[in-house]
Amino acid sequence: MRGAAIVVATFAALVLIAIGLRVGWKEAGVFLVGGAFIASMLWYPPGLMRVVGSLLLAFFLYVFLQTIAGPAVGVVIALLIGALAWRFLPNRVHRRIGFMVPSMVLLIFTTTVLMYEAPGSPFAQEKQTTQQALEAQAKKFKIEEDAYSFFMTYMKGLLAEGTMGLAVKVQGRTVEQLLLPALPVSMSLGLLALVIAVVLGLVLGIRAGVRPNSWADYSSMGLAMVGISLPNFVIGACLLIFFSHKLQWLPVAGWGSYKHLILPAITLALPYAAYIARLARNGTIEVMQQDYIRTARAKGLSERVVVLKHALKGAILPVVSFLGPAAAGIFTGSFVIETLFAVPGMGQWFVKSALGRDYSVVLGTAIIYFTIITLFNLLVDFAYAWLDPRVREEL
Amino acid sequence: MYRNLLGIGAVIAVALLLVGVTFSASKEQPADFVFLNGTEPKSLDPHVITGQPEGRIADSIFESLTYRDPKTLKPQPGSAERWEISPDKKTYTFHMRKEAKWSDGKPVTAHDFAWSWRRLQDPAVGSEYAYILHPIKWAEVFNLYSGHVERLVGPVREGKKTIVEALEALREANPNGVEPAAWQKFLGQQHANDVVKGSPDPVIQAALIERTNKVTAERIGRVAAAFRKEAERRRELFEYADKHFGVDAGVYAKDDHTLIVELNAPTPYFLELTAFYSSHPVPRHLIERLDKERKERGEDEGIEDWFLPENIVSNGPFRLKAWRVGDKIRMVKSETYWNKDSIRLNVIDALPIENYNTSLNVYLVGDADWNPNVPTAIMDTLKTRDDIQLSSGMIVYYYRFNTTRKPFNDKRVRKAVAMSVDRQLIIDEILKLGQTPAFRLTPPGLGDYDPPPDGIKYDPEGARKLLAEAGYPGGKGIPPLALLFNTSETHKTIAEEVAAQLKRELGIDIKPLNQEWQMYQASTLALEYDIARAGWIGDYLDPNTFLDMWITNGGNNQTGWSNALYDSLIAYAADVSKFVPDAETVIPKLKEQERTRELVKAFQQADDPAAKAAAGGELRMHLFREAETILFHDEFPVMPIYFYVTSNLVRHHVHGWYKNPQDIHLMRGIWIDRSKRAEDR
Repeated sequence: MRGAAIVVATFAALVLIAIGLRVGWKEAGVFLVGGAFIASMLWYPPGLMRVVGSLLLAFFLYVFLQTIAGPAVGVVIALLIGALAWRFLPNRVHRRIGFMVPSMVLLIFTTTVLMYEAPGSPFAQEKQTTQQALEAQAKKFKIEEDAYSFFMTYMKGLLAEGTMGLAVKVQGRTVEQLLLPALPVSMSLGLLALVIAVVLGLVLGIRAGVRPNSWADYSSMGLAMVGISLPNFVIGACLLIFFSHKLQWLPVAGWGSYKHLILPAITLALPYAAYIARLARNGTIEVMQQDYIRTARAKGLSERVVVLKHALKGAILPVVSFLGPAAAGIFTGSFVIETLFAVPGMGQWFVKSALGRDYSVVLGTAIIYFTIITLFNLLVDFAYAWLDPRVREEL
Repeated sequence: MYRNLLGIGAVIAVALLLVGVTFSASKEQPADFVFLNGTEPKSLDPHVITGQPEGRIADSIFESLTYRDPKTLKPQPGSAERWEISPDKKTYTFHMRKEAKWSDGKPVTAHDFAWSWRRLQDPAVGSEYAYILHPIKWAEVFNLYSGHVERLVGPVREGKKTIVEALEALREANPNGVEPAAWQKFLGQQHANDVVKGSPDPVIQAALIERTNKVTAERIGRVAAAFRKEAERRRELFEYADKHFGVDAGVYAKDDHTLIVELNAPTPYFLELTAFYSSHPVPRHLIERLDKERKERGEDEGIEDWFLPENIVSNGPFRLKAWRVGDKIRMVKSETYWNKDSIRLNVIDALPIENYNTSLNVYLVGDADWNPNVPTAIMDTLKTRDDIQLSSGMIVYYYRFNTTRKPFNDKRVRKAVAMSVDRQLIIDEILKLGQTPAFRLTPPGLGDYDPPPDGIKYDPEGARKLLAEAGYPGGKGIPPLALLFNTSETHKTIAEEVAAQLKRELGIDIKPLNQEWQMYQASTLALEYDIARAGWIGDYLDPNTFLDMWITNGGNNQTGWSNALYDSLIAYAADVSKFVPDAETVIPKLKEQERTRELVKAFQQADDPAAKAAAGGELRMHLFREAETILFHDEFPVMPIYFYVTSNLVRHHVHGWYKNPQDIHLMRGIWIDRSKRAEDR
């Protein structure tokens, strides 16, 4: 145990020195303080953890609330919820929050440092412009000269004014005005894709898992293999050729009616469906060998009841844990799908903002993705507790 | 018994319901005309935008003094109904159209233009295309000089050095002076040329082009003093411009309906510039009102959003109705436009689709009428379609040489490389649109410009000899090199072909090197490459837009190349009257000395202003020709490869759309033949 700690500490020190040499000692200092703060929570006694967790939750809520309700009301509501959290939330959730909020700050800082390390700037143009025009624009959009100052300005804007900064590549809008309308588009597309993926994946997977090495198994898994190996732009193009160009049933691209949703959702769903099918198959095979399945069969239950009532629960456990991160990814949009079908979702901004060095938009996508993925992981934990009594005890 | 199944079913039902709720199917009137705009416009503020997708919208919703005729591209009276040009071609008097109105009903006046053009030059606005109107008197001074002063003597940000401070540090660090190469590198790093360009001080002029003698510490001190003096001169000029430009000098309103524009020198393409989107007027009353409201709310440095549909006031044939990012921009015919009866489209949609294949899909199924973004990969199939419009474009594709690195610091090597690339093969095998091979930068059809004859042709045999002469027979002694290009299938294919040809013909080992666009930019700017791919679009129909970038340490030069004669020719072309006194010292260094002498003589002898302006124009074109001769008979800081062919897919039912070299297509002339539309779909 001590040996491992020494290894970890040495490694962390080396990384910090590398950051110090490459980027700057101020930045290394921030990483040291942030990392130490997060790591130190491992040793907090439960009482302290409750306090820190509730305070951080209140702080996090305040940042969101102040934009909607103003600073004064924001503080009151945030503190109220913080107090409730202190009183009622289980300790494990406090630990989660204690990890999440400082991690998000550290994530913003890390992303900023990485962005500034990459060559280029949001104002780079093929035709060179004057130093002066660049400076005037940098001032207008609050793009500082180094990562540390940018981080400070950004956090100030975030905490004091509740804004995620200004978009440079689509001007006249703040990052939240740019991303928040795109998020529901991605989410509705993602939700439909997720439903398709889960239904299709479970049906195929369980069918295969109930009778391994049968024809049902081979055909289902063969289909899943295709779904995983074919990149989705190929699947998408094939669907387009068939359903849009040949049959002319569905539009080729765009957004505005239910018809626009179908092809992108199927294309987005297929690889996930394939993966879920494989997970469900393995889960089912494992569950079908359990004693309680044999008991159920011995009781004379029909195979259908055995599978649906007893096996299903066990079979979908691995699927549920996969769904957390998968849902976060699927809900925030896919660059490939959105590009191929010209869907005005959020996925495109992950790539476009990074390529265009639109710093505030990059941070916006990172924050939204982080929030959603943390949220879904929490949901997965609760779902696990609901599905598996052994886990419920730990929570 | 099926509790879990029911649970899962319920979750799915709720999920689908959510999809239904968030998904509001909007029922909109279909547009008359839909086009694929290639990307989301960065802005619609005419003083901020720089690209074609932005320009297509801005040209529809704003109207400048003139507009380009959709067919001939000749400037037509727009917000100005007529104008007079003084005999010396340096003063333009525009008479504003009295019936021209903003979309909120306010009249468009000469004051709006004076204010807008001042805003374009305002250093605090930071417009990248401000230089489009730099031919106007005091414009450049107002736009740039305050920044020059800051760079020269401050104030600068904490931890930064002014150029004068840097010079003094350089002098102290090198009591024995610096080598000319190090001196040029220093000037390049400081962007000194950008900041003191055009200074009349001989000390500065000599220092900028010093590349033979060692620069002594004492001389560095003198240069620093001269820079300080230059800063003072520029400060005074700026203060004058700040007070007067847009008010009573350069461009100003004599009354509501008369706009006076004074130019530095005769500018034959000026009426084209007054049609360009950077010169569109912006609604002063709206911008000032929004600024005031922001201040009252306490957001002193909030975002500029006057150009969003909920705010905008414009004066063009169309107005902005809706702008949904990633989905569409919708424009509708403006009811306040002075010539609204000539406008035949009622509703236009611009789709910001970036992927060329998606664009093509949308066009092919009939959901769009015009697609300017045709994928090159399947050009073979597309070019036989009867709705494709091909036209030679004002764009040149070329490779830069890093002239500060071995082996391209030797002009013979550069020339040898330029001679051994088979451009025709690249066109036939890769590009396939009958592009024109390029041996110079200026595309055909640049106004009155008569370009020099090609200095080289495809000649691998001659190239080998030249390379041997330079001391690299068969490519021996040349280190392994890299050919830098930014991510694109076409760039990659061309780079691979060029690399293969250089290996085969000259024995030069060069590897194609792909970098993502921003990194590629940074590499070329820092001169961290051997050969780098580039392209240039002319801003206006004049050779200056292709040639003035190659001056020493010019921002777009990025080759490290520097030539004193070239620099001076470009400077003389900007004001030919300055060439006359120096003619006798410069002419012996030129290629076509007799012709130059004749032109100078004609210019001197012209007695009335009109004849003088005409002779001056001719001399100016000739100076450009001499300058381009230096580039492509002798020096080859870059290797031109081909002139673009622009391709557009346009449905047969679209009328009033004309192909042209500048690829400008105004919505104002377009109309739809509805009977043919049914057939097309």
